[in-house]
Amino acid sequence: MERKYTILAVLLIVLALGLVILPKKNDRKETDPKILLSSIAERSRYLTTDQVTHRIIENDPTLLLIDLRSAGQFKAFSLPGAVNILPDSLFSQTNNELLNQSGKDKVFFANSDLEAEKVWLICTRFSVKRIYIMKGGMNEWFNTIIKPTVASATSSSAELDLISFRNAARQFFTGTGQATAQSATSKSPEKVQVVRKAATRSAGGGC
Amino acid sequence: MIGPIISSGIVSQAWDNIFALILGMGFGFALESSGFSSSRKIIGTFFGYDFVVVKVFFTAAIVASVGLLYLSYFGLLDFSLLYIQPTFLTSAIVGGIIMGIGFAMGGFCPGTSLAACAVGRIDGMVFFGGMFIGVFLFSESFPIFENMYYSGSQGAKMINSAFGISPELFTFFLVLAAVGMFFGAAWVQKKVKKVEY
Repeated sequence: MERKYTILAVLLIVLALGLVILPKKNDRKETDPKILLSSIAERSRYLTTDQVTHRIIENDPTLLLIDLRSAGQFKAFSLPGAVNILPDSLFSQTNNELLNQSGKDKVFFANSDLEAEKVWLICTRFSVKRIYIMKGGMNEWFNTIIKPTVASATSSSAELDLISFRNAARQFFTGTGQATAQSATSKSPEKVQVVRKAATRSAGGGC
Repeated sequence: MIGPIISSGIVSQAWDNIFALILGMGFGFALESSGFSSSRKIIGTFFGYDFVVVKVFFTAAIVASVGLLYLSYFGLLDFSLLYIQPTFLTSAIVGGIIMGIGFAMGGFCPGTSLAACAVGRIDGMVFFGGMFIGVFLFSESFPIFENMYYSGSQGAKMINSAFGISPELFTFFLVLAAVGMFFGAAWVQKKVKKVEY
């Protein structure tokens, strides 16, 4: 290689080394307290379990599910495609990049809302954008999606649509159809008592 | 002033296309002046007689990486406003294979084929025509490929996070690898018989 290229290569190595050696700066932006308070008052951060389920089934590429439960619970069961982030390591190098993905809706969930609310608040404070909470967490998801729902005789058409969506979603997640789901709740079928007619006696005599 | 100037609102978004045109002309000029409108020069990478393609693209990557990190460090660039293309693993692998085969067969990549068209090269025009037909067919049959296209979604993933290291350390290793490759390519080029074109 020519000498001028060698000098440029050495210069680039020195500059790159400088990046590694320079002391790290904490350039995390904090949200203005007034904006933070108004964000807390807003309810738009909540997504229902049905909304989240719909987006999972649709394979929505903009959805990023973040499971805040322990690694053991995450390993045992979680929502499809979810990533496990422990609140203790929320702003580690890898998690920071996950949270700052501009094209993704980050949806937090734990067993209930408590942990997700805490993490949402911390992330909002540090200006993380497009963050949501799955209302009710895994408990609510299990109650609404996995547990069978039976329509009552007075259900409105909107409720019937919702129930049929949940039945389809249950089939999607568990492979169990509506029939099996209903059989889980229904009692054992009542025994039908057959009442036989008494044999008619032929009229004696006759004309 | 802090960049990127359009995302941070310093310059109106209406200027997007004007900047795209100016940058595109600059990119096209750089491609042509580096000799990238010649398919024989590009294909030299695969035969070992000309490594200018690898050198130019690696140089662009390392200069941009080092430059962006320094701009961010000195507060001149807000990293969170930069758009990062999301990774879809399956389509990236399949698309990479198809693009690689097309690159080796045609001697162009999409950008260089346009540069070749602009200077009136017939092989560049044929390549561009084929690429246009391919894009059209893919668009029309997209529903068939949709599931595959969106599978393996990784989000806007950075390669340094996949290795679990900082962007600065990854850039340092990348620069070392690039410089090593420059010397390696120069050594290979000396060993391979020169091709006149």
